[in-house]
Amino acid sequence: MSSEAQGSEVAGWRAWLLSSSPASRSQARLGRAYIGWLSFRANHLAMLGLGIVLLLVLVAIFAPWIAPYDPNAQILADRLQFFSSQYWLGTDELGRDIFSRIVHGARLTLYIVILVAIIAAPIGLAVGTTAGYLGGWTDTVLMRITDIFLAFPKLVLALALVSALGPGIENAIIAIAVTSWPPYARIARAETLTIRNSDFISAVRLQGAGRMRIIWSHIVPLCTSSLVVRVTLDMAGIILIAAGLGFLGLGAQPPLPEWGAMISSGRKVLLDQWWVATVPGIAIFVVSLGFNLLGDGLRDVLDPKTGGQG
Amino acid sequence: MTAMIEVRDLNVIFGRGADRVHAVRDVSFAVPEGATFGLVGESGSGKSTVLRALSGLNPDWSGRLSVAGEALTRRRDKAFYKLAQMVFQDPYGSLHPRHTVDRILMEPLAIHGFADPDRRIERILEEVGLGPQFRFRYPHQLSGGQRQRVAIGRALILEPRILLLDEPTSALDVSVQAEVLNLLQRLKKERGLTYILVSHNLSVIAHMCDTLAVMNHGAVVEEMDVALLKRAEPKHPYTRQLMTASLGYDRSAIDRFEDFGIDAESSGVPDTSTDAPQLESERKRGP
Amino acid sequence: MSENPLLRVEDLKVNFPTRKGLVEAVRGISFSLGREKLGIVGESGSGKSMTGRSILRLVSAPGQVTARRLEFDGIDLMKASESQMRQIRGQRISMVMQDPKFSLNPVMRVGEQIAEAYRTHQNVSRDEAKRQALDMLSAVRIRDSERVYRAYPHEVSGGMGQRIMIAMMLIPDPDLLIADEPTSALDVTVQLQVLAILDDLVSQRGMGLIFISHDLSLVASFCDRVVIMYAGRVMEICDAKNLAAAQHPYTRGLLNCLPKIDGGGSDLPILRRDPAWLEHGA
Repeated sequence: MSSEAQGSEVAGWRAWLLSSSPASRSQARLGRAYIGWLSFRANHLAMLGLGIVLLLVLVAIFAPWIAPYDPNAQILADRLQFFSSQYWLGTDELGRDIFSRIVHGARLTLYIVILVAIIAAPIGLAVGTTAGYLGGWTDTVLMRITDIFLAFPKLVLALALVSALGPGIENAIIAIAVTSWPPYARIARAETLTIRNSDFISAVRLQGAGRMRIIWSHIVPLCTSSLVVRVTLDMAGIILIAAGLGFLGLGAQPPLPEWGAMISSGRKVLLDQWWVATVPGIAIFVVSLGFNLLGDGLRDVLDPKTGGQG
Repeated sequence: MTAMIEVRDLNVIFGRGADRVHAVRDVSFAVPEGATFGLVGESGSGKSTVLRALSGLNPDWSGRLSVAGEALTRRRDKAFYKLAQMVFQDPYGSLHPRHTVDRILMEPLAIHGFADPDRRIERILEEVGLGPQFRFRYPHQLSGGQRQRVAIGRALILEPRILLLDEPTSALDVSVQAEVLNLLQRLKKERGLTYILVSHNLSVIAHMCDTLAVMNHGAVVEEMDVALLKRAEPKHPYTRQLMTASLGYDRSAIDRFEDFGIDAESSGVPDTSTDAPQLESERKRGP
Repeated sequence: MSENPLLRVEDLKVNFPTRKGLVEAVRGISFSLGREKLGIVGESGSGKSMTGRSILRLVSAPGQVTARRLEFDGIDLMKASESQMRQIRGQRISMVMQDPKFSLNPVMRVGEQIAEAYRTHQNVSRDEAKRQALDMLSAVRIRDSERVYRAYPHEVSGGMGQRIMIAMMLIPDPDLLIADEPTSALDVTVQLQVLAILDDLVSQRGMGLIFISHDLSLVASFCDRVVIMYAGRVMEICDAKNLAAAQHPYTRGLLNCLPKIDGGGSDLPILRRDPAWLEHGA
């Protein structure tokens, strides 16, 4: 195929996506997503954030092929080596390749972040929209429960939960999820309060829709975008809490290459072999930054209040 | 001819104690089938509150409401919503911003379990003067007039017999208003609908309605045949003042404007002070 | 109209570059204004508000304003520096917007805001400014001006808020007032009362007034001359009292599609837009 034909095909797709009178549901949906992508693409920092997050995902998927060594293979003769062509990012106190451990640690980080997001966000969304829409005593009860959770600092509550449930990565995830949903419930409730009295909700009430239908198909879709933004921005915090739990020995257990646990073990040699703790620290920093930039960009595209999509 | 809609001694009271607002006071009227009844008044007159009580959006009412011979309760069942639908004032706020026209029209069909939704959506789009090319657009891709057509289509897709119209054209340009009013007239003729039209615009009311009630401070000051309005023969001074005002700017007439206060209303004697509106915190506020 | 008009606008254009290309909000319009009431009428998207804003150079980026001539009382507004514009805004040209609640500072007493507006342009003491503000509140026919002076914006009704806005805009004694839909959020009787105040002040002080509105019949009865705009162009300019005899098909269409109290019950005539109108404006 000549490049000209290719060019016209691309133009055809563009026209199809940007069409002002789509011919089907899927075209309308794709067109909307494409317009969102166009405005997202214009934001360079957001694209950088997306790049970092995509890199994290790719590294996590292809970890066994990327990592030159087994992350748990101990070569005691090569303990605490500095960066070299053999060990790109050096080795730790048990002679394990830090680069390989970082690469495999990406899997753990992603695992934690995704699980927390898919547990905490729906709980927050359900609690917040239900409380906001139904109001009355439902609102009071649900929001006071939320307040109780919010009254404790996140890390302290997570620590208490993990020490009750016992250390381990799954328990760390549960603890983080349990401490993460209250702010989401607050956001979803606030959004719901601004939506619930609008004419389009009145209209669907007058069509005879039940409460659950109104909440699920009319209110939830409007709350999700601000929630997606908030969750993305919180990813950095989740990574840090997971790392903090790992650092305190309450999260991932050795020999799992969790970044926080890696910092913790590197701290003993921080002054002489600084890279052992610093490299995972940089990894945490970069990934957190990536999620933050991505969240900021998503806010510009998704937030209904800024009118990105009218 | 039996009344399609009957309102007897309707009172609507919001709030309690110091915040108590008596928004609608002893309003009664009846609308025969196939007629258009107008409710006209200024903001805070309670005209929209009457409509919201009728539609089932506002449960804080007392009195007797009946539609098609059936008395209405505070909670309505699905059958009621199939009988009476509402069109809102603001076409920008009454359509879900994340739903396509298709989804907006599909929703009532899904709720009531109508068969053959595709054909119905196509037909209703045709009827409200929007082609099939509008079916998968989002509200932000439509003009105000097109949105209002979608809202009318959504109200009519359940094939109701009553349409409650809350200032359906006041947010539109006058040329678009004319198109929407014509559409409403045509649909009424084709489907034998009964309308209640709420508006602050006497000309729109005069154009659309058979009978009308003028409201002020929650009460009906005058109910009359539209012919009386067209002959400029309303009885109540408040209605006459509204008529003068709607004719345009006339410097000398403005000095004769009176403030028809809430007490003047019940005694029938207009308050002659030409005072400026009071501080809002000290006067009755609408919901 | 005097031989030396207060405001002269020639070939004013306002453009907005967007992703889909250049949006021409105002496409080369010309008019002049003496010490009179000039109405600018148009439907939404006609560019009438942009015209008002561009006179005060209040069109925000990325909008671009160009004009062959934009002259106010001998001052070239296109060439005026930002500090010159600040001098002109408020003191010589004021603007009243549609919703007073957005234009008033919510945490400051309304009287203080009016006094502040006076003190920005006049070097006077606080007491003198307050006295002037109270006078101005009485001038817009607020009876209990002392009480209103102490009120916060949320405590006043829409009609009162609009009077306060007018008081605030008129206290520096401007030569030109631009009123952008100043009364369309108000009830019809209150609207007329506010307009009467504006009318009286304009004739007492010999100001020029640009009254921007979508309401053709209101403008026709209120203003001296009317500019009819459509899609960023001037369709025609005529004396308000002759509006009923206007020739342009757009003006005729707008007049005809209004329902009338004493009209018949038949269908309203629909306005047919002619693309040729965009080719050659007035």
